[in-house]
Amino acid sequence: MGCLKRCAQVVDGSIPVQALLYPDEDLLSSQEGVGIYDGTLKSPSHQNGTVHITTHRLFYIDLAHPRRNSFCLDLSHVSRTDYYAGLFTSSAKATLWLHPLSTQPRTNRTAEQLSPALINSAIAEIWVCEVCSFKNSTAGLSPEAAKVCSLCGVPRSLSSATSSAPTPTPSAPIATKSVSLPSSYHHLSSSLPSSSADLLEVGSASLTPAETTPATGELGPNGEIPCPACTFLNHPSLPACEICGTALPRRQKSSTKAKSAPSSRPISPAVDSDEDEDFEAGSDEMKRMIKISFRKGGDKNFYAVVKRSLLGRGWEIKGVSKSTLASPGPTSSAATSGINALLQNVNLNAATSQSNMENALQDLEALMVKAKDMVRLAEDLNERLTAATSASAAPMLSSSPSLTSQNVVEPEEATFIRSSLSQLGLQMTNAPVTLDMIRDERRWIEELAKELGGVLQGQTDDNIGMMRQRGIIALDEVWGGWNRARGVALIPPTTFLQVLPQLPSWTSPPINMRIFASSGLSVLHTPPYTKAAFASRMVGLINLTGPITTVKVAQDEQLPVGLVQEMVQEVEEAGEVCRDEGGSGINVFDTNGWDSKGGNEVMWWVNIFKEYVWDGQADL
Amino acid sequence: MALSPHTTQSGFTLPSIHSFPPFFTKQVNLATQATVTEHWTKLILSYARHKRLFTIRVEDAQKAGNDWDEILRNERINRSLPPSHLSYILNDMVSKNLAMYDPPKQTGSVLLYWRSPEEWAETLYDWVSSSGQLNTIMTFLDITDPPVQTPLSGLPLTILRRAIGVLQKTNRAQMIAITEGEGVRFFGGR
Repeated sequence: MGCLKRCAQVVDGSIPVQALLYPDEDLLSSQEGVGIYDGTLKSPSHQNGTVHITTHRLFYIDLAHPRRNSFCLDLSHVSRTDYYAGLFTSSAKATLWLHPLSTQPRTNRTAEQLSPALINSAIAEIWVCEVCSFKNSTAGLSPEAAKVCSLCGVPRSLSSATSSAPTPTPSAPIATKSVSLPSSYHHLSSSLPSSSADLLEVGSASLTPAETTPATGELGPNGEIPCPACTFLNHPSLPACEICGTALPRRQKSSTKAKSAPSSRPISPAVDSDEDEDFEAGSDEMKRMIKISFRKGGDKNFYAVVKRSLLGRGWEIKGVSKSTLASPGPTSSAATSGINALLQNVNLNAATSQSNMENALQDLEALMVKAKDMVRLAEDLNERLTAATSASAAPMLSSSPSLTSQNVVEPEEATFIRSSLSQLGLQMTNAPVTLDMIRDERRWIEELAKELGGVLQGQTDDNIGMMRQRGIIALDEVWGGWNRARGVALIPPTTFLQVLPQLPSWTSPPINMRIFASSGLSVLHTPPYTKAAFASRMVGLINLTGPITTVKVAQDEQLPVGLVQEMVQEVEEAGEVCRDEGGSGINVFDTNGWDSKGGNEVMWWVNIFKEYVWDGQADL
Repeated sequence: MALSPHTTQSGFTLPSIHSFPPFFTKQVNLATQATVTEHWTKLILSYARHKRLFTIRVEDAQKAGNDWDEILRNERINRSLPPSHLSYILNDMVSKNLAMYDPPKQTGSVLLYWRSPEEWAETLYDWVSSSGQLNTIMTFLDITDPPVQTPLSGLPLTILRRAIGVLQKTNRAQMIAITEGEGVRFFGGR
């Protein structure tokens, strides 16, 4: 029972794990059906249970005897981990290698010393901060968090007055008697009077004389640290100047003293070796590990969580900052203390109330969002009323069909809705037109066409429309651009296509759609890009510059080559131009015929065949 | 674009569009291509008549050095008729009965009808009657390869048979099997 005994602490597994956590500790993952190996051997009393991994600790809750065999292990003991995937009947295992005892983090021991076993037995200890006189309770705090004043963040000094709320006497006999309490400190402490005040006495008694002196003269002028910036004499436990916030030089002596007396207490290997015969100073590393055997799978996930938790080092970094978080809000860092921290707390209070206020106002905003729905409901109601009146009106207008009666009612209804909408201030000019704004399908399309015209040609001077610079533009781009401009209530392609025929009447110069026959590409274009206009322009260009390639035309028109190709094809289709694929065939290489086609770019010529009259040999 | 007719060394006048590069490219636009084909047909037939050529093959467009160089190539504009285009034109000519594939069942080579079989029949009959050979039996060789140059010299047998076939229908000629092969007798006086 090497390391389990040393490092793990017994917990009452009949209590749900959530209740065992420190306030700043989070339960990350659980896995049932695991067994524990202590070192290389199976630990007989921990063979079927559930492991829980938290940000701070690893819990093992035994299934058979939760009260007796459950334990928790601080992750700070873990130096590294290994993972073994399992083979045949051997289950997957995660190995946690523990720090050798001598290199165990001091801080942890200090914590244990300050609040020994009391945390686990859930007995609160009250201590008063020297700096701000805040009464701190260690109840339910992680050892690391319990060391620091939760108000001002000053580390607790040994001499701070403590008073355990309930006397821990009931727990003391248990500690002395139960052998299953694994921690060596407990054995140490069990031999002591269990009142923590006494314990502290013992702690200071065990100090070496060199260090007791400053400890006793702590408040004297020598123990105080002058600020390097403002020379204010600061309390030795402050990390930064109380007045100006400058980082204070750490004095070797005072810092160790301030941290904790017990850290310099003659350390326990001797005690340990007395207790555990198998844990000698020369014990091999194999004994400093715990294996978790996953008998029911779940190993990979759990191992990943363990790794993450170890990397997070939640027990030391967040320990302090989160403890202050228990008071109003999150603080910036653990380093702040003193007046800074107090001011910060005030700020945080203000921030919290601010956010609370904002949350409250969010409801109001939500109400505003809902207003639209309310309007729609009102509209529905109106509609039904209209239907009812038209239905009642229909029998009276026996000669006219009900359709016309509805048509009679329609404008009234529309005006009513529109006026009520505007009364509510819901008809915004710059808002995208949506179907529910305008119920009439035809009008809706018209409005959309108007809007699209604005997007394409620009409503104002500073807003340059998509087609201000370009005369021809592919449909997909228009659609994408329009919807991007709308941002909300996007227009489906079907509606988009319905809108397009309306577009020329809302745009000037009119924008028309045209579909290229060869590829089916649809474009919107201004009048200069109709088939005929482009053809005549291209013919003119050829007449001016001679035969021309598609690329040249594209350059001239400043349009994409692909688009121009489509347009030129249409011109060719119309018989305005004809192609010359080159392919001289005069040189020998062309005799194969392979070079005659692909090698040369097509040159476009004006089609002279149409008006050509035979002027060759005339002896037919 | 000032295009003008060009007269070759052999005295043949090429049309101006022969100097128009797109003329050599097969046009995608069918209407344009129809015009191009029509002009090519005209050019080929008139050149064939000019030089008394009866056969054109697709290969003629592939390599230089044959009778058709003058029209299938234009070195002045560095263009030549691609074989695929020629093949298309020939196919069009056959379909318009201006040529026939010879030998049949292939498309690489055609006989050109720069005169139709009917015209050839008339020419043949005129020649036979004017040379006083009516009612005599003549071999095909006598007709196509006479000692003196005639309009029928070098006429391919396929065309000759067709022409004779036309005359047979009007009872002006008769095919006769003779020892050297085939013979024909023309009847006069009608």
